[in-house]
Amino acid sequence: MEPERDLDRRPDPDALLALAGRQARGRLWVFLGAAPGVGKTYAMLSRARALKAAGEDVVVGLVETHGRGETAALLDGLEVLPRRLAPLQGRTIEEFDLDGALNRKPRLIIVDELAHTNAPESRHPKRWQDVEELLDARIDVWTALNIQHLESLADIVSRVTGVVVRETVPDKVLRDAADVVLVDITSDELLQRLKDGKVYLPETANRARQNFFTSRNLTALRELALRRAAARVDDEMIEQLRRGAIEGPWETGQRLLVCVGPDALSQEVVRTASRLATGLNASWVAVTVDPIAGRDPDPKEGKRVDEALRLAARLGASTERLVGADLPAEVLQYAQRENITQIVVGRSRAGLLATLMGRSLTSALVRRSQNIGVHIVTGDSTARGRAIPSWRAAMKGLPAALLAAAGSTAAAVGVGELLALWLRLPNLSMIFLTAVLYCAVQFGLRSAIAASILSFLAYDFFFVEPLYAFTIAEPQEFFALLIFLVVAVLTGWLAGRTRDQARNARENARTTRSLYELSRKLSGTASQEDILLTATTYARKSLGARSVVMLMPEDGEPRLAVAWPPIDSLDPGESGAARWAFDKGEPSGWRTGTLPAVRFQFRPLITPRGSVGVCGFEPTDPATPLSPDHESALNLILEQAANAIDRSTLAKEAVKSAALEENEKLRITLLASLSHDLRTPLASIIGAVTTLQQFDATIPNEQKRDLLASIEEEAGRMSRFVANLLDMSRIEAGALKPKRDLVDVAEVVQSAVERAERAFPQKLVSVSSARDLPEIRADANLLEQVLFNLLDNAQKYGGEGPTFVYANQSGGEVVLSVTDDGPGVKRSDIERIFEKFYQGGRVDGRKTGTGLGLSICRGLVEAMGGSIRAESPAARRRGTRIVIRFPIAERAARARGVL
Amino acid sequence: MTGLRVLVVDDEPQILRFLKPALEASGYHVVGAVGGREALRAIANTAPDVILLDLGLPDMDGKDVLVEARKFTTAPVIVLSARDREIEKIAALDLGADDYVEKPFAVGELLARIRAALRNRTVGATPTAVIEVDGLIIDMEKRLVRRDSAPIKLTPREYDLLCVLVRNAGRVITHGQILTAVWGPAHKADTQYLRVFIGQLRAKIEKDASSPRIIRTEPGIGYRFADG
Repeated sequence: MEPERDLDRRPDPDALLALAGRQARGRLWVFLGAAPGVGKTYAMLSRARALKAAGEDVVVGLVETHGRGETAALLDGLEVLPRRLAPLQGRTIEEFDLDGALNRKPRLIIVDELAHTNAPESRHPKRWQDVEELLDARIDVWTALNIQHLESLADIVSRVTGVVVRETVPDKVLRDAADVVLVDITSDELLQRLKDGKVYLPETANRARQNFFTSRNLTALRELALRRAAARVDDEMIEQLRRGAIEGPWETGQRLLVCVGPDALSQEVVRTASRLATGLNASWVAVTVDPIAGRDPDPKEGKRVDEALRLAARLGASTERLVGADLPAEVLQYAQRENITQIVVGRSRAGLLATLMGRSLTSALVRRSQNIGVHIVTGDSTARGRAIPSWRAAMKGLPAALLAAAGSTAAAVGVGELLALWLRLPNLSMIFLTAVLYCAVQFGLRSAIAASILSFLAYDFFFVEPLYAFTIAEPQEFFALLIFLVVAVLTGWLAGRTRDQARNARENARTTRSLYELSRKLSGTASQEDILLTATTYARKSLGARSVVMLMPEDGEPRLAVAWPPIDSLDPGESGAARWAFDKGEPSGWRTGTLPAVRFQFRPLITPRGSVGVCGFEPTDPATPLSPDHESALNLILEQAANAIDRSTLAKEAVKSAALEENEKLRITLLASLSHDLRTPLASIIGAVTTLQQFDATIPNEQKRDLLASIEEEAGRMSRFVANLLDMSRIEAGALKPKRDLVDVAEVVQSAVERAERAFPQKLVSVSSARDLPEIRADANLLEQVLFNLLDNAQKYGGEGPTFVYANQSGGEVVLSVTDDGPGVKRSDIERIFEKFYQGGRVDGRKTGTGLGLSICRGLVEAMGGSIRAESPAARRRGTRIVIRFPIAERAARARGVL
Repeated sequence: MTGLRVLVVDDEPQILRFLKPALEASGYHVVGAVGGREALRAIANTAPDVILLDLGLPDMDGKDVLVEARKFTTAPVIVLSARDREIEKIAALDLGADDYVEKPFAVGELLARIRAALRNRTVGATPTAVIEVDGLIIDMEKRLVRRDSAPIKLTPREYDLLCVLVRNAGRVITHGQILTAVWGPAHKADTQYLRVFIGQLRAKIEKDASSPRIIRTEPGIGYRFADG
């Protein structure tokens, strides 16, 4: 019987439906197998068909049939999404179309081969990350995985099968899966299937059989798969017991700590810890200790530590970077604080002396950990190769240090010989000690040690009897010399260390100072652009990055705001990564899980109110990760920048709301003014009309005429007011399109004055127009309106005397002015009188107009191409003069020879 | 009419322009003032019988004019004001104004208010014992309320409330004034309270409590008992 037949039993659709129930996140089913060809895809597809038959929205995102006919037949009748074409080294390959799947948004999608590595330009480097995104979008996913691809088992698989596993999936993915379906057949059956050509095409099958598909390998892998599935079932049972609140022995209460160092063993140590933690059902943390002082960190070692920590994080550990000089003490202190029960550490490669003195990390931990268990992992050193000590790092500065040691010792010998010529000193060791100290302070520890030894020898050779020989005659001289050596080494060591620490402290101080400077600069910066510019230059300087860009959201999309060195735009891949960082609030791009092929790394600028922007930087050397120092400096800069941006946004909002408040005030003024200006004439009209109705018979004719006149006047007043309002709104809306006719100014003045005399018969107007005034380009009606408004103002705010209107020519302009003899306008208010709703006081203190007249005048005059301004006092400390200027129309100007 | 003097205080000359003929035609003697100080001088000099006071004066707040005037005159004051100055109206009524008329107004309405104010002044001291409004008969001496000879039973509070309204018949009386008169100054702000009692009272005395004709509501200000 074919093994698949067992799996082909019809599952109960209702049960499957229940499993596929909606949740906040999609649910992941992993079909786990020991090796290719056990029938995972087949199992998935047969179940999918059952669901489809039950009316479920099932879609095949991607399935590799590997030319297996039985499997391909199952695809028939299922919806299969088209694949995305991706370029790879000049060829085009087909990839799973993540965006297509997200757009299609089925209830359940099948995505085969979870461990697959995507083409370089894809959004995520790994398919399991695509699957995570599908789950985030509340889509259920079925996928298939071979046990060899599980991250924590990768090294075991390599050891057992001799095949290096490159494509791995973090254990977290399997752990968080809603369910794991084990697809299992015996090794012999699988080999038979391979032989029958049901797994691979014949030629591939042969190669596979020789390399991988051996009975031994398959049995080992099968055991791993079965164990993992069993552990998972065990977990589920415990989970159920726990949910049922049943007492049980599941609470292991264990917490593991794994020490991560720069040696090659650390990856293996981390994997061991991961398996141990899984077995114990314990949480675990990976810890590394960065030394406070010492030589410059070797970039290769830093990279190894980073990689080990990242691996630990992928395997589900939390990670921690401690800083301290005494490694075991730091680790143990942390362990005590965090209630660690077990420590996993690699066998340290400390020197013989250190081991003898109990100074190696391993022995110190074993000795000093009181109630904490210590696991020591010894690597397969021959197979894996020892970590090659970084010669370059060790050699760096060594020649200079040795040269300095030799030079200063020689100098000490010279000084000693010179002194010996003049005076007889009993002991010259102080001179050599000075040389050692000099080396320590100037060139550090190594130079000091070298100088100590050289001094010891030189002292013996040049100054100890017998002279010029390394032999020593007197035993007490020998002891003196030995003590000198010890003192020299000790002082050299101390001084060297002090020097290194001082240098470190200086460096720290510099970092602190530079950050302080940044925060000072940012806090003194209000505009967003300046903040971004400051942050950009700082980030570039402190990271030593090739370039830094800042993106700010615009309609919810991050757009390039600042770049240094300047660039015009980001390419689509970079924009996509930036958008991802902005939307998800997580880093993207270079050396991250999302779009790692992009040359920038993007970090979101996060405030308590969410992402406010994105910062991207391009590393100088894409092969080296950020050092911890750079990492923390970057974080600080981003935090400061985010806060500064947030502050500037808040400030901007405050300004906006103040403006709104100002607007609101304006609106209230307008309403009050409207209600007054409309109501007063209305009151007069209604009052007069009702009086006439009620007392038609009793009041004398003369009074009747006066009442009728008042009705007419007040109606006129209202109509002027309404016209003003309309003009104002037309000017504001930009709907006013004045005509640009040739206008005779004197004519317009005449008609405006006549209108004013009709409206305010009690007010005298004196007109004086120059003869032969040139024409201007304007709208005669609007200009008349302007003049009328000015005359209206003059009768409202002016004194008893007449209003003067002048019209003359001055240079290339026609100048019109209206002057009253009122109290004038305060110098400080001379511009404000043209503002909307500005109201001047009247002689008797009463308010009259709307405060619209002059602002309408300005709007109209400027729309016609003229200018208007006020002068006060006009004459003899009294009066206001409004002056309007229009350029002389071209035709007229030419005729007069002005132009 | 009998040549009673009316002082019109308004900064808009147009108002006096139509009020003067209307008031004179009704038999009043009209004095005009355009500012607060001028008004106070006129009150002192001419002792007007009614004062029409606009609250928006250029030189003084109308309310201050009222306070000053009340120091030496008991003449009824009718406030001429706009709808959007509600708070000022209430303040003016509480400061001793007798009534208000909203601008713009019809002359007939203003004249009715003037008559009501004058009647209250002359009659207020000895209130009529029996009052009849819209079929409702209130006998103040016997403390009885009837409608079409059927007695209406009122609680003492309701009766007090009704009395306050009746004593000020035709005039507006603010929430604060009613609450102070019936419940005491401590309850001056309990408008909610008053609404409940007015509702109860209306249910008992009005023909149709949903469109009251005896106790009229002056929105946002107070109540007015129907005048005759």
